[in-house]
Amino acid sequence: MTAIELDGLRKEFADVVALDGVDLTVDEGEVFGFLGPNGAGKSTTINILLDFVRPTAGSAKVLGRDAQERSAEIGERIGVLPEGYDIYERLSAREHLEFVVESKDADDDPGALLERVGLEDAIDRRAGGYSKGMKQRLALAMALVGEPDLLILDEPTTGLDPNGAREMREVIREESDRGATVFFSSHILSQVESVCDTVGILQDGQLIAKDSVEGLRDAQGDMTMVVTVGETGGIDAALDEIRALQSVSDVDLDTDEVTIGCERDAKMAVLNAFEDNGIPVEDFETQEASLEDLFSSYTEQEVQA
Amino acid sequence: MSTQQGGFAGLDRTLRNTFGWYAVSKKEFKDAIRSKGLGLLGVIFTILFVSPVAAALYLDFGAGTGQQAQAIQQQGMQFLLSNLYTNTVTLLVPIVAIFVGFAAISKERTSGSLKLLLSLPYSRRDVLIGKVVGRSAVLGVPLLASLGMTALFLVLSEVTFKPELFGLFTLFSVLFAIVFTAITVSISAAFSKSIWSAAASFIVYFYFTFVWNGSVNTIGQLLQQELGVTGAGSWHTVLLLKLLNPNQAYKTLTNSMLNTGDTPELSARLSMFSRNADQQTICTDVLNGAWTTNTVQIGGQTAQVPTCAGGGTSVPFYYSDPVVLVAMVAWIGIAAAVSYYTFDQVDL
Repeated sequence: MTAIELDGLRKEFADVVALDGVDLTVDEGEVFGFLGPNGAGKSTTINILLDFVRPTAGSAKVLGRDAQERSAEIGERIGVLPEGYDIYERLSAREHLEFVVESKDADDDPGALLERVGLEDAIDRRAGGYSKGMKQRLALAMALVGEPDLLILDEPTTGLDPNGAREMREVIREESDRGATVFFSSHILSQVESVCDTVGILQDGQLIAKDSVEGLRDAQGDMTMVVTVGETGGIDAALDEIRALQSVSDVDLDTDEVTIGCERDAKMAVLNAFEDNGIPVEDFETQEASLEDLFSSYTEQEVQA
Repeated sequence: MSTQQGGFAGLDRTLRNTFGWYAVSKKEFKDAIRSKGLGLLGVIFTILFVSPVAAALYLDFGAGTGQQAQAIQQQGMQFLLSNLYTNTVTLLVPIVAIFVGFAAISKERTSGSLKLLLSLPYSRRDVLIGKVVGRSAVLGVPLLASLGMTALFLVLSEVTFKPELFGLFTLFSVLFAIVFTAITVSISAAFSKSIWSAAASFIVYFYFTFVWNGSVNTIGQLLQQELGVTGAGSWHTVLLLKLLNPNQAYKTLTNSMLNTGDTPELSARLSMFSRNADQQTICTDVLNGAWTTNTVQIGGQTAQVPTCAGGGTSVPFYYSDPVVLVAMVAWIGIAAAVSYYTFDQVDL
């Protein structure tokens, strides 16, 4: 069975088309990273899966059930960390979890759940005083109640420090090992890479790519190197040699800074070319392709194909 | 002790399995009851209800065996209920209901906690019903507590305590409170901003409390003068419209309960009409009464005063107390149903 199935999903708001015919299948047991820049339509998609928002056209199925018709039933078997949520400030973490346990007819121990997300010390404190990161941990713990078949996490690392983000990824891995399907959205590439089996990229309301992480890495290829040289006399020979490298696409000299567009593995060859031609390298930095670059590289590929 | 707890836990589980909204209402009550405003609510209610009795108690009002004292002892309870408490409830309870309910759903929608709630196994209907039930409890519990306190003071005072009267008054008042809570919570579901929800609730309150009655009288006049609907037909319309207002329904119910004559329902309904209404037609053709004259002594002179006595039959069943009560309580369902219709369509 498929965990999530979107078929020609379209959503128009008053003045914008948020989703423009999205078809997507997420298999059971997959960890699926839903990528895209802010405003691409990720949250709208998730909001439709959760029946917060009704599609203009097309359909969404969650765990084989229509997301609109059977949302309460779907709620029994999923765990959700929505975007732009808030907790109940007058209730403690324990009371929040007791409420969710009761709602899902589960039997989880609130203490054990909070230990998993690192919030056990605040169990009896009213959630009104929690920091953003603590609220996020509490919401994650609420999503884990009742061993859900599917976890839907919208930008789960928002408000977490790097340590918290790492713990979040750990929880995602644990849940995946247990057999759960995980569907999470992010606009930060590095978070998606390390935990996902499959990645989907949404841009301007359209799914422009669905690929494995390896496929994504290959496409990511390009990066930009900026090399600061101590001496520009005779640099042309070095630049010619660099231009001749197969993995280099673009070389540009600006006083003492050389900007080189190249593939990731070209770094050593570039530095060697400077050295071989007697040009001292004072400093260099590399800029990874940003998510936006990645999107454009995908769109270009689509056009070429 | 342990069996007692088992009983509660068992009931809790049964309710949870039977009603989708039960856990929502429980959470709602737990959350809202901690608001500082609600403690204040209990205090305000208690002061308003208890202070007249406490004052009477302190002043030894109605003590002794004199004629006046006896009158106070016998009629004190009715006096308090009809002149004081009924007005307190009709004016104050809706305002408190607005305070308790205006943000019930709109605030969760603005803050986003509604998303956590709806991602659990709850439909929007469960959330709406759970909110109505939970917030009703939030208003009902302090109201009941303060009425209980009032009963205690009444028992201690010289005024004769009439449990059946006080019990009915409590029932009507709590139902009235629930009606207005349901209306405000329902309004709250129709707005994405609490400020709009509050404004709409106040307009509804203002309309029910101060405008409805007058506009119904005007409709009656229009029917008679402009449209030529004369006689019983127009008065039936006026009375039915009046009874549709929960505020009026509550008042006429307590009125009917407090009337001591042979025809409490008849007198209560009749007193809903304005002075210039055609009392005779209303008495005989609308309420099944008999139009007679009473001989009364006014300042040593004898006068013939027309009056409405009970006819052979009671008032038509659709004007009887049980039906009026049902009509009042029906507002809970009407408000929730209308609200659900909009709330269910909307993108959150």
